Formats: sequence, structure tokens, C-alpha cells
Amino acid sequence: MSVPDYMQCAEDHQTVLVVVQPVGIVPEDQFFKIYKRIASVSQVNIRDSQRILIRYRHHYLPENNEWGDFQTHRKVVGLISITTCATSKEWPQTAERFHGQKEVYSSTLYDSRLLVFGLSGEITEQQRTDVAFYPSFEECSDVEKRVEDFVESIYIVLESKRLDRATDKSGDKIPLLCVPFEKKDFVGLDTDSRHYKKRCQGRMRKHVGDLCLQAGMLQDALVHYHMAVELLRGVNDFLWLGAALEGLCSASVIFHYPGGTAGKMMGRKQSISQPLDAGKRHRAGALTTNGISADTSTEIGRAKNCLSPEDIIEKYKEAISYYGKYKNAGVIELEACVKAVRVLAIQKRAREASDFLQNAVYINLGQLSEEEKIQRYSILSELYELIGFHRKSAFFKRVAAMQCVAPTIPEPGWRACYKLLLETLPGYSLSLDPKDFSKGTHRGWAAVQMRLLHELVYASRRMGNPALSVRHLSFLLQTMLDFLSDQEKKEVTQSLENYTSKCPGGMEIITLPDGLKLPPVPFTKLPIVRSVKLLNLPVSLRPHKVKGLLGQNISNASPFIYSPIIMHNRGEERCKKIDFQWVQGDVCEVQLMVYNPMPYELRVENMGLLTSGVEFESLPAALSLPAESGLYPVTLVGVPRTAGNITVNGYHTSVFGVTSDCLLDGLPSVKTSGCLVEVIPALPRLQLQTSLPRSGTLWSFCVGFLSSSVSVQLFNGETQQLTITLENIGSEDIETLELTSKIVSTKEKVFGEFLSWELDEALSHLPLKPGQSVTLTVNIKVKLDFSGQENLLQDLNDDGISVTGLPISSPLRQVLKPRAETKPVGSESSKAEYSHIKTLEAVLNFKYSGGAGKVEGYYRELSLGVHVDVEPSVFFTRVSTLPATSTRHCHLLLDIFNPTEHELTVRAKNNQDLVLHASECQRMAIQVDKFDFESLPQPDQESIRFSNPKQLEEERQHLFHAAVLNHVHPSLRRCGEASVEGVLNQLVLEHLQLAPLQWDVLVNKKPCDCDVIADCKVGDAVSLEVKLTNRSKNSVGPLALNVVPYQDYQNGVQNYDLEDGVTFIGSNTFYIDTVKPNESTVCEGALLFLYTGDFYLSIKFQDDSAGRELPLAWFTLPSVHIRALDTPPQAGA
Amino acid sequence: MNTNMAVCIAVIAKENYPLYIRSVPTQNELKFHYTVHTSLDVVEEKISAVGKALGDQRELYLGLLYPTEDYKMFRKLHNSFTDVMCNPFHNPGDTIQSKAFDGIVSGMMVQTA
Repeated sequence: MSVPDYMQCAEDHQTVLVVVQPVGIVPEDQFFKIYKRIASVSQVNIRDSQRILIRYRHHYLPENNEWGDFQTHRKVVGLISITTCATSKEWPQTAERFHGQKEVYSSTLYDSRLLVFGLSGEITEQQRTDVAFYPSFEECSDVEKRVEDFVESIYIVLESKRLDRATDKSGDKIPLLCVPFEKKDFVGLDTDSRHYKKRCQGRMRKHVGDLCLQAGMLQDALVHYHMAVELLRGVNDFLWLGAALEGLCSASVIFHYPGGTAGKMMGRKQSISQPLDAGKRHRAGALTTNGISADTSTEIGRAKNCLSPEDIIEKYKEAISYYGKYKNAGVIELEACVKAVRVLAIQKRAREASDFLQNAVYINLGQLSEEEKIQRYSILSELYELIGFHRKSAFFKRVAAMQCVAPTIPEPGWRACYKLLLETLPGYSLSLDPKDFSKGTHRGWAAVQMRLLHELVYASRRMGNPALSVRHLSFLLQTMLDFLSDQEKKEVTQSLENYTSKCPGGMEIITLPDGLKLPPVPFTKLPIVRSVKLLNLPVSLRPHKVKGLLGQNISNASPFIYSPIIMHNRGEERCKKIDFQWVQGDVCEVQLMVYNPMPYELRVENMGLLTSGVEFESLPAALSLPAESGLYPVTLVGVPRTAGNITVNGYHTSVFGVTSDCLLDGLPSVKTSGCLVEVIPALPRLQLQTSLPRSGTLWSFCVGFLSSSVSVQLFNGETQQLTITLENIGSEDIETLELTSKIVSTKEKVFGEFLSWELDEALSHLPLKPGQSVTLTVNIKVKLDFSGQENLLQDLNDDGISVTGLPISSPLRQVLKPRAETKPVGSESSKAEYSHIKTLEAVLNFKYSGGAGKVEGYYRELSLGVHVDVEPSVFFTRVSTLPATSTRHCHLLLDIFNPTEHELTVRAKNNQDLVLHASECQRMAIQVDKFDFESLPQPDQESIRFSNPKQLEEERQHLFHAAVLNHVHPSLRRCGEASVEGVLNQLVLEHLQLAPLQWDVLVNKKPCDCDVIADCKVGDAVSLEVKLTNRSKNSVGPLALNVVPYQDYQNGVQNYDLEDGVTFIGSNTFYIDTVKPNESTVCEGALLFLYTGDFYLSIKFQDDSAGRELPLAWFTLPSVHIRALDTPPQAGA
Repeated sequence: MNTNMAVCIAVIAKENYPLYIRSVPTQNELKFHYTVHTSLDVVEEKISAVGKALGDQRELYLGLLYPTEDYKMFRKLHNSFTDVMCNPFHNPGDTIQSKAFDGIVSGMMVQTA
């Protein structure tokens, strides 16, 4: 006996063995269908208390049958043959075959049956107990009944044999039962010796015990076994003693465990065992109801003879040790081990069971075929599994798998190997789902797991399933990365690339034929992603919400305006909304920080974003990461095609030919600040080009929000035109456009408008279609303070010129005018201060909108930074005034300094050019109109002045237009305007004010001012009108004016004694009544000149007449110069 | 003279993965991996048996599984292991990377001259 039945268990000892075999040609599926129906009859109740259990086999070695005397359950006692027979002609031949088959087991058979299918006709009419005819495989309803009858007949034979043996008295000669290999040993032995007789008795007792057990007489069996043990122990018949002990164990097990010991053996794969299993389970259920009889006396007897659970194991050990003495009883020993292990498994004594298994491993059964080896390892694995030793189970299963593809096998069974390898996975704490390895520390024994994965890869490749090997190899790389050496990493990736060149790896679930699903393996470690950050759009493309829809967000969150309870939900942190928006149709960016854990360069292809929510066009990138790179930023881009909320779920990559979808949910180590962002409807895009060069200059403030900037260098006072071309480069019409500017650095005082433009022209082109452009001109005018340092302006009177409001006669002015002095600048440091370049920065803001985004209330901003380096052009180091001859005018004296290194021409209105060399300072006098008194504030009313700055500003404009100087840099061909605006201090301003009382003197109805000489004829009456217009806020007067004529000899002598020369017609004193604000009064008089000559009229106030609370300057009247001639002037002729 | 020496020494974490494993015939290391790995079944069996008795509190001291005291090496190994665990820079659960421990283990191994 060389083939062990690993399926055996202790309770099989009580069964009878029936072989079911096909005869002739029987379709396999039909055979097994019938076989299953036969096998369902696993237990037959003979009488009320008797039952018989049947074990069916469709294959049984006759060689094993020869051991039937040793253990009767090995004996084939019944044979059921199944055959097909199409015609009655075939019948004799079929019957012949049946007989031939019976011959094989003839020595042990109690009875046999033949089931014939497909035959009909007269032959079927014959009444034969051992043959049953059925027309077809479908029409055989009484198969079970027939089998039951058959079993009953077997029982009758069995019972008769039992009685026959049991009643054998010592008077008869007891035959010696022996096993096949013993036969030759007993040749020539003294059969009459007492020893021999005892041996015969002992063996027979044991045999009867077997029969009793099969016949369902447990109590009798126990008694017989006990007796057999006694007898055989006495004669040292170890093999049979072992069998007797095992019988005792079996009977005890049947008593103790009516549920059976094979109950847990589910999922066995050997096709032989499957039908058997089903039968067993059925029987087991029946046993529990029938196993214990109501008779208590037998119950007590049983308990006495029966072994305790501990004793069962002891006896098994003993039996096995006896079996071990016989080389030829290896199979018996092995089977006994297996049975014992099953019993121990039920008893949950795993460690003792493992001792038995350990023993079983070393039992040598001689030369085993490869298939037998596989079977043996498999069963060992199953038994280890049964006792909960998963690792050992996995080990043996793996050995079995390797045996399937041993080099000695001509056709290696890679499929079987692969299947077995898969079954070992749990034992190595390995699942094929990468999710189990993504969190926490590595589970299990990496070195062994890696080996197994390698074997899976190899087996699946040899199976011809490259997709499977790619999947396993991916898994190996992903989960075992930390345990692979650099060399191994290289090898694994190389082979992965080899495989994927034929069969690219993907994300689909691979389902194996047996239903196992292999989940996809995303390469989350190639490369490792540390953080995911959604990036806002570039500043110029960021959408802004039009204000006014305030509170929309607040009302959504909570009904309370403020709540101290902060809604903290950590779980939602990942999907919280980011507080910026993306725009439909515009490229959006997500920044990943990745690194490459591999010792060589990693090429990642087709890396893109996985999103949900809106339609998103991902634009994949390919990257190459250097070996063991540090954190490396990667930007993934895409374009949302619709509006709504978009969630970035993860990213996809293609590495080594394997595409992976890595979801962030499965990557707890990835840091992210939220992945949900709103996509708003499309907005137009504007591109800006300027005529000035783009700036690379440093900005004094954060330039983050500027989309572009220009920089220019200008002299103070210079004007530059900036042409801006705006092009619609988006796909939406631009419907609105607004332009605002803001000066950023406020350190310098800026006069006038720094940036000015006309937008109407550009607006007329709206809406601007995609691709169209408009141009816009912006004037950059820099007017900073032209004054020098403060201290230089303090002392206005250092050269002795008194600045008063009193009229200064023209001769004095003549003296002063040529006093243009050259005054070099003293120290170097002051020069440095003068040449200091100042910076002006402003931002031009274009707000535009259009398309669907405009409907939603969004707009975009484009900012253009304007950076101007202002170089000093001229400085007014000193400013003072001189009264002009006319009360309406005034002379502004400016000390102009040229801080540049170029020659400079200064040109003032109505003046000749003044050429200034580099670092030269010259004085220039400019005649300016005094300006209106009315709006000029009172010096003591400061508060009013500041509350009304705009008015003041207008006034100043007026003045400064008058005082604007053109300065030209001839060498640079550049020119600009300088303004005295910032230079004038309060004192100077006061002098420049036009008095609020306006005096007009008319001679001969002609207005007369300082420089105008009125001509008249000697002897003619000259009319003189004095008109007072009150522009002040208060009433003025009454006033008395005294007109005094005099002659100026131009040598400092003035002759007032003109009694003879000039006669007043009427009074020389004018009285002016009270003049109300905004009213005027006219006084008239007349003069008569008696001689020719130049006369002056000095109009003075009588001291008592004017309320002197008003400033003196208000009461300055122009002096009148009249030339009396003999003859009328030519022009007048 | 070296017949009583060890060929493979492994320290296993209680979560069933190796903290340290070293074998002398390095060419067949995997064999030892398998041996040690499968032997863990017995340990697990012992732990689960103890665990049943004590409920949730697992008593992890199992006593001697085999007569290691005969070789007088367990005490030495355990002392060295304790030293490793006392290292403030060692995280329990990490694989053991200690030169001192290595040295002790080497001393117990069969000298393959």
C-alpha cells in the first residue's frame, strides 16, 4: 500500500467502502451526476436501532484493498458500476465487462450492482437483482432506493460475517489474519504454538471489533478492541497492536465527537473528496440525533470502556510509534497521524497536533510521484491551517506550489502553482490590496513576502498572463519599496518595464477565473507626493466679485452673525472650499511637492489631475526626477470647461509603463490645504503692451499683484507719453472697461496730475471682440518739488532786498534787474542732495469684464505698474518777490540752480532764455500777474484755508501757469516744465495776491497803469476817473482820496510845487462812500496841464479817512504818469 | 568546539515582523527566514492561549520555548536587547541597528572559518 488517503478521519472506521465506477464509455459529467446521487445515500437505517454508514469512492487501488483484513473499512465490500448501453446487442459485452470489474475486488466484495442507462426493450424485462435498467440519465428516479436496497444487502452480509466471527469458539482453529507484506514472514511458522494462537486470537478480536464498529455496535467494538489490545500486547505483535489501539481511539472518537472530526475540512480541492465531503456532512447531522441510545446501562458500560479525550491522544501516540516500527506500514502511520491531528484540532490542542504533523512530515513513503508529493504537501498545509498554524500552512502550500513546477515535471503546472501560491498569501500576512499597506508600519515578514511576490510574478508570467505579472510586480514595487536594496529596485523596475512593453499596466481590477479580484496598484510611492496645493490664478487673471452682494457667504454658514462655537470638523478639512476661484476656460494650476525615492532617475509620464465636479481638461505633464531627489515642485495644469465646484481627487501617473490613479483619500501622508474650489463662468482676458520698456526695477512695495510694469527715467517737470495697447486675447467679448490710477509711494509731494488719460476713445471700441485691440495714451507728468532744501528758503532777505507790498518805482527795479549773480554751490554734500534721484510709483488699474462671468458679477483687474525715476532738473534755491510797477503785476525772483551735468536753458513766459551751465545757480526775475484777491483767504483764517483746498488749488493753478518755466536740456533734447508751486511760502504768496480792493484809474477814459504814459494836450482838460471795486467780503469806506501831482527829475528829486503847472478842475480830493462787497464806486475829476512836461499823479488817502484795520497793500493805487504835450500826438492826429 | 553555537538569531516584534535577523551561512539566508517565520506559529499559539485566560491583557512573557538556557545565550542576548531598548534614540518597533548588539550576536554565532 503506497497511496495514503489523506482525507481519512477517525470516524471513517465505522463506514463500509463502496466503489462506484463507470463501465465502458460513460460521459464524465453524467457519471458524476449519478455518483452524487448515489453518494447522497450515506447512511441507511436498517432497523430502529441499527444503521450503517457508507463511504463511496469512484477510484480505489486494488492494492489498498489487500489491507482490508487489517482494517475492514479499507475493504471494498460493494461495487456499483454505471454503464451506458445503446442497443441490446451491446448488452452481453457490457455484462462481461461488469464481471471483469467485479473480479478486481472479488476477494472482498459482499455484493455488487450494475446501473445500465440508455437501454430499453426486452432485455430490461428480465428480473435481476444486481442489474437495474434506466432508459436515460434523466429518467432514473429510483436510483437512491436501489442503492438503499443494495446497502441493506451489504449489511446483511456484514452482520452475518460479524456473527460468524464473533461466535467462533476456541475449539475451531482461528485463521491468522495478516497484511500483505507479512505473508512471507509466517511461512513455516509453528502454527500450534501458544504464542501463535494468541496472535491469531488477538488479530481476530481486532477484526471483530472492526466489524462491530461498521455494524454500528460501538459498545461491542470497544470491548473487542480492549481484548485485542490485551492479547496482542502479550505477544508483541506491534503492527496489529497499533491497529487495535487505533480502533479503540476511533471508537472513542466516534463516541466523544458525534459531529465528526472532518467537519472543518471545507474547501478541499481534490475532486475525489468533494462528493464524499457532502455525504459526510449529511451523515454527521444524522448521527447526532441517533448516536446515543436511551438505554442508560449501555451508556455506563460505554463510558467505562471508552477512552477519555486525553487517552485518545496517548493511544494514538502509542499506535503510531508501533506503526513506525514497520517500514511498509508508512501509509498506515501517516493516515493515523492525520486522523490524530483532526482529533486534536477538535480538541484545540494545536501544539500537540503540530507534533503529530511534524512526525508525519518525516514519514518516508518511498518513491513518491510528483503528483503525490504535491498532494502530500497540500494536505500538510491544510492540516496546519486546521490547527491555526497559518505560517506553516503557507510554507507547505508554497512547497506544494513549487512542486507543481519542479524541473523534473515534463509539463509544469504553472496554473496550479499560481493558484496554490495565491492560497499562501494569508499565511504571510499578505493581501493583494495595496490599501492594506498604505497605513501604519509594514505588516508581516518582508523578506518572505517579497520572495512570494517574486514567485507570483514568475508563475503568472509562465502562465502566459502578462497583465497579472505586471500587477504583481507593481504591487511588489509599491509595497516592498522600503525593503528592496538598490540593486533589487533596479532589477524589479527593469523587469517591470520589460513586461509593460508587451502589456501596459492599468487601473482595472483583474478578476481571476476563480473569482479572486486583484485591485489596481497605484504607484503612490513613485514618486512620493508630500503635498498638494491648488494655486490661485495669476494676479491679472483673478476674478473679483462686484461688491454689493455682501453677506452672501455669511448667511449660508450660520444663522448667527457671530458665534463663539467654531465649526470644527477635521474630517472635512480636506474637502473644505478654498477661498479663491478658478475661471472656466482658463488654465489652472495645482502644485505638488514630490520626491523620487529611487536610486536612479525616475521618469514620470502623463502626470495629470483627477478631478470631479466640473468638466475638466487635464493637460498632462512628463517629468524626470533625479535620483533620490529632495522635495521637487511639480505643477499640474488643466482647464475647467464648465462652471461649478471642482474637487481635485488625486493625480494620475504613468511610471515604468504602469498607469496609476492615485487618490488623495488613500494617501493620509499628503498635506493639502483643501481640494475644493469654485469655478466661475468664463471671463475675457486682456493683454497689455506698452510703448515703454518693461521694467525690471525694484519696486518699493510688493509687486505681487502687478501683472506688468514699465519704468522710465524723467527729469523733474518732464512729460512722457505712454501708449498702452490692450488686446483681448481671451474668447469672450470685453464689455466694460474702467481705468483708475493710484500713486503708491507717497513720500514725495506730487504736484499736478501724475497720470492722465482720455478713456472715451477706447471705450467707444467696446465691446472688444476676441483678437481685437485698442490703444490708450497716458500722459506721465512728473512735477515734484522744485525747491531746494528747506533751510535755503528760509532767509529771503539776505541780499537786502526788502519784500514789501509798497510800490517800488521803476528806477529801482532797473537797478535790480541786472543783478543776476553767479553763485557756485558751496559744499559737495549739498550737491549730492541736489542730484538725488527720486522715485515715483503708480499703478494703473484696468477693470474689465464680459461674457458669462460678467452676468455673475465678476470682473478682472489688470494692473500696470509705472515706475518713474525722477532726476532733478532745476531747483529754485531761493524765491522772493519784487513789486512791479503795476499793482496788477509782481516780479518773482527765482534763484535757479542746475543740478544736472548738462547745460540747461530756462525759458520763462515773456522772458529771454537763461542758460545755466552744470551746477550753476542764477537768479531770474519773472513778471507775473497778481491773482485774484477774492478767493484768497485771510492769512489768519487758516482753518478756512484748509477746509477749502480745492478752491485754493484752482487759484494756485492760475498762478503757476503764469509762473511756469520751460527748462530745456539742449544736449539731451529734452524739455520740461518747472513749477514754483511748491516753492512759494506764505509770505511770498501774500505778495502775489491781488488786493481785494481793485483800483482803476482812467485818464481820458483810458485805463492807466504804471508803465503806461497817458498823453494829453497842454490846455486841454484831462478827465480823471478813480474806480473802486470792492471784492472783499466786507464793506469798505468811506474813504477820502487826495490827488497830488508832482514831477520826478529822475535824480531823486521830486518837485511837488506845481501850483503853476497843474490846475484841478474842481476838487483835488475825492470822497468815496461806503462800498459794499461786490460793488463799485466811481469818482470823477479833471485836470488841466499848463505846461508841457512829464507829470506824475500820486493818489493818496487822507489819513483819517480809511479804517486802518485793513492791510496797507489793499490801498495801493497805481501811480499815473501823464505827459503833457504842446501839439497833439501824431497818432492822435 | 563550536558545535553548540547558533546559526541564526532573530528578534521578532510582537506584531510579527523581524526587528533583527542574522544567520551565519549567508548564502542561504532565505531558508532561515522561512524557518524563523514558520516557527512563529507556535509563539502565536502560545500567546493566544494565554490571551484567552487573561482577557484583553496579553501576557507577553512566554517563558522559555526551548531549552535555550542550555546554551547560556538567551540571557546575553536579552541583556543586549535591553540595552538597545534603553537607547533614547531608538524607537520601539524599528529594526535594530546597533553595533553593540551586532557584536554580541556575532559572538554567539558559529564561526565559519
